[in-house]
Amino acid sequence: MSECIWIHYARPRPHWYGLDAATQAAHEKTWAMAAEASLAAGGSRLGRYHIRGQQDFETVEIWRFPSAEAAFEHWSALTAAAYGELNAFANNIGLAIEGSP
Amino acid sequence: MTLLTEATDIFAAEKRSGRCLVAFAAKRQPLGSGLFGSDQVRRLKTLLQALRAEGWLMSVRAMFEPNASAEPYVFDTGFAHEMDMVGAFEAPSLSAALAGTVRLEQAGWARRFATEWLLGPREFSTVQGRGALTDHSWGFLALWEWNDAWSAATKAERRAYDEECDVAFKGDVALGINIAGRHRLDWASPWHHAGLWEASSLGSVDLAMQGHEAAADFKFTTSRHYVGRLRPLADFIEPDPD
Repeated sequence: MSECIWIHYARPRPHWYGLDAATQAAHEKTWAMAAEASLAAGGSRLGRYHIRGQQDFETVEIWRFPSAEAAFEHWSALTAAAYGELNAFANNIGLAIEGSP
Repeated sequence: MTLLTEATDIFAAEKRSGRCLVAFAAKRQPLGSGLFGSDQVRRLKTLLQALRAEGWLMSVRAMFEPNASAEPYVFDTGFAHEMDMVGAFEAPSLSAALAGTVRLEQAGWARRFATEWLLGPREFSTVQGRGALTDHSWGFLALWEWNDAWSAATKAERRAYDEECDVAFKGDVALGINIAGRHRLDWASPWHHAGLWEASSLGSVDLAMQGHEAAADFKFTTSRHYVGRLRPLADFIEPDPD
């Protein structure tokens, strides 16, 4: 198994804005816990960046995972916690180019 | 793995096997003379045989009959689409699938084709079409994402929608269409799912689509469909004449 880069574009879906602040915070806490579990399992988060000015998504988040399976597990935990129902998204995965610095 | 949507009358949840779809929509690229020759063809054919030996399935047919044919088959879509062919393999794992796309690209595939690779685990088992049709000369690839309306719908609304769509899927099966289950793409794609069908004719796919429109299938999805004629992959990787 090889290390992978995982690139995640997201923006809130329209009905996200109709949720009250406490409900939003509860969702965000659940997703943060899923991210913590992925970090504990060997993933590393390179960061989350604002891109709304240049893209139809709002943020891009970049992770390194020890394997494609680990990336899938991370995403599966998020979707099980309604992440995809409250955020539109586009994901991508890639293997490091052999010999790249 | 949690399913994005629940099993239905037609679709049974697949026991998690770890295996991974490697679907592709590919467009042949115009190349200068000698840039895709017998060397690339030989390397690609050797690699395709190696993948098969590593436990890959090399066609949609093989998803129904794993021992059917070792030869890779795809669907010729150029007559109706920007893409010249679509097809699907199945790899033993997600890691093998991802590495396999790179191996294929490096063996010469990247010269021949501009490709959208679509990878993901199987969610639902295959569904055999009704009747004894042995003609599987047409294929269909559906890609879709759940839209904002689906995302905002209640569980009961989604369940009612699934039941309505199941009526359409029963119609597909009655037309003799074989449905290769459903695969999940959303972890590594803008698309959420892939559906692959075998059909006896373009007409039966068209009739099936009318059934899905009648069932309001598309109110909750944004979809892209490819239809194509069964053809050996080898036909698409012949060397260019010098």
